[in-house]
Amino acid sequence: MSLVSGPGRGGMTAIPAELQLFVDKHVRYIQSLDTRKDELEYWLTEHLRLNGLYWGLTALHLLGHPDALPRQEIIGFVLSCLHGNGGFGAAPGHDAHILYTVSGVQILATLNAFDELEERVKDGRKKIGQYIADLQDPETGTFAGDEWGERDTRFLYGALNALSLMNLLHLVNVDKAVEYVQSCANFDGAYGTRPGAESHAGQVFTCVGALTIAGRLDLVDQDKLGAWLSERQLKNGGLNGRPEKKEDVCYSWWVMSSLAMLNKLHWIDGKKLTSFILQCQDPEGGGLADRPGDMVDVFHTVFGLAGLSLLKYPGLAEVDPV
Amino acid sequence: MASHGVARVSGTNPAIRSEELRQKELEQIAAYNNLVDLVNFKVADRQYTVEVLDLTTRLLNENPEYYTIWNHRRRILLDLLLIPSSDDRPSTTLYRRGEELIHDDLQLTFALLRKFPKCYWIWNHRIWILQKGELSFNSASARKLWLGELQLVGKMLHLDSRNFHAWTYRRFVVAQLERMQASVTDTSLESVHSTQSLTESEFAYTTKMIKTNLSNFSAWHNRSKLIPMLLDERSADSAARRELLGDELALICTAINTDPFDQSIWFYHQFLMSTLSPKCASQNMIVRDLSNQDRQRYYAHEMEYIQDILEDETECKWIYEALLHCASCYLEIEGSTQAFTVLDMRGWLRELKRLDPLRRGRWDDLGRSLDIS
Repeated sequence: MSLVSGPGRGGMTAIPAELQLFVDKHVRYIQSLDTRKDELEYWLTEHLRLNGLYWGLTALHLLGHPDALPRQEIIGFVLSCLHGNGGFGAAPGHDAHILYTVSGVQILATLNAFDELEERVKDGRKKIGQYIADLQDPETGTFAGDEWGERDTRFLYGALNALSLMNLLHLVNVDKAVEYVQSCANFDGAYGTRPGAESHAGQVFTCVGALTIAGRLDLVDQDKLGAWLSERQLKNGGLNGRPEKKEDVCYSWWVMSSLAMLNKLHWIDGKKLTSFILQCQDPEGGGLADRPGDMVDVFHTVFGLAGLSLLKYPGLAEVDPV
Repeated sequence: MASHGVARVSGTNPAIRSEELRQKELEQIAAYNNLVDLVNFKVADRQYTVEVLDLTTRLLNENPEYYTIWNHRRRILLDLLLIPSSDDRPSTTLYRRGEELIHDDLQLTFALLRKFPKCYWIWNHRIWILQKGELSFNSASARKLWLGELQLVGKMLHLDSRNFHAWTYRRFVVAQLERMQASVTDTSLESVHSTQSLTESEFAYTTKMIKTNLSNFSAWHNRSKLIPMLLDERSADSAARRELLGDELALICTAINTDPFDQSIWFYHQFLMSTLSPKCASQNMIVRDLSNQDRQRYYAHEMEYIQDILEDETECKWIYEALLHCASCYLEIEGSTQAFTVLDMRGWLRELKRLDPLRRGRWDDLGRSLDIS
């Protein structure tokens, strides 16, 4: 199954004044992604299959079409990516890594399929939990991505997210992880990929998300971080990820979900952001792009839609910011 | 990965591809998949040879995001690096020396980073191969290896001065060099006096980057991280610390004057202000023996200076925000003889709301929290 890539077009034709969301087009776009096997891009993005499936499935849930992809087929594919050590690879034959393990767990949780997991893989949940837990560095509290040891706050958030979805948070040292997140905080109230690294909206999402899961939002300098996040909005309504950078639809999620966790969604102009996101749609082929007029992909599609959901766009399912 | 900034080009849509283009793409797909299958088969078969290593090179050149292939490459290299080099081996192609293997991987990752400067896996692999290299080199060559990395990352930052992968890599390389120097001085008396830390030169590097482009928030950020280390290493006394704070304030004021609409500059200004606060953690303070009178003097001086700029730049929201911020810091200090009035603050807030309607909700909250709405 692939839902990662595929050409399309965002916002080249005139958007009607009432700022319409092309729900049916987006559903069909996502359904079409696994049928593009005659495109090189399909094969070049195999390392993102499981992520892509999670993004597509989540987008369909937000659009109110949770059954638009075949459930049994998805579960079968997800389990075909599971290794004996409890980790998931991006696709069958790809090595296990936490990035795909998190997507695998998220898909199973979305489909309510943990029982099927247990039926097909004895002690599946426990094995996956243990794989994740073993990636924690007992000294610093952070997490490696896989056996090769690269560390990043993305992995730390992913670990806590997946473990909490499986009710297995007790397998890791949450206090140590929290300590590590704190060590990634900068003077602007925001967070980077590791101690010393520059603040980045994506990393803010992972760190604030991790602290929310751990119940430690009290550690966040909420006014300072809220101010930094609100300054991500540019004149055209779009959001960027760092000071003096260009806007991009995916930050509609990283920035907005963080603001939502801090109860500060009203610190930016929701109407302008809504209109920016809608302009990034491809009104013919479906899907959303990073900016108006660019190629669409499922990554920007789901994060744009999730942003719209936080903005309470009518008809979209409600999303949990964590 | 997801496409960023790629404009839609007509002709890539499968529905309107010509039959000829379609055939060509199908051939490309077949060739690519053959290569993938070949590499996966040979690695599963544990054929850890130079030939298979070269196949992974070909594949990674086509698709550097394919992380499993990087892992395969490491498996092969770990095996090849175990084979001792020996001149009487029959084939030098089979038993290339470890140094050559490491050199090849440095070349491969450098070429790929030039094309894909934001690909995590390439940066990771480069660190991995350097760490392997360090083990097989003597300490002088190993040091040379890491020094070369400092040059490489300088080039990468020259191409894109905001690449956060490159900045992270730079801090990592600096840490490696400092670690190596520390271990050298442990054993050799001669080098005791050599500089162990690169903090001074890295601080100078941020100055250079900022002077090239004031908007380089990555450089400002790094500067904020270097200052506490710099002061410690200089064993700076109170006077030296005050001097540094004065220099930083002067630098940022010039920057504000040059472009008051640039937010990187104002964030750095906020950083300097935050080190004045009694709530600032002592390891982050620039001056550690500030009296409340000192603090008020600094705040008042900043406000006076910023108000001067206001005369030419009435439409810059950052000025009003900074004034309100300084004013609220000032008010937190006991026993103030006020340099401004509540009426001033209300006026600044009104201007903020006028100039920055996007963040109206934030300014409303600020007015309430300062009790001036």
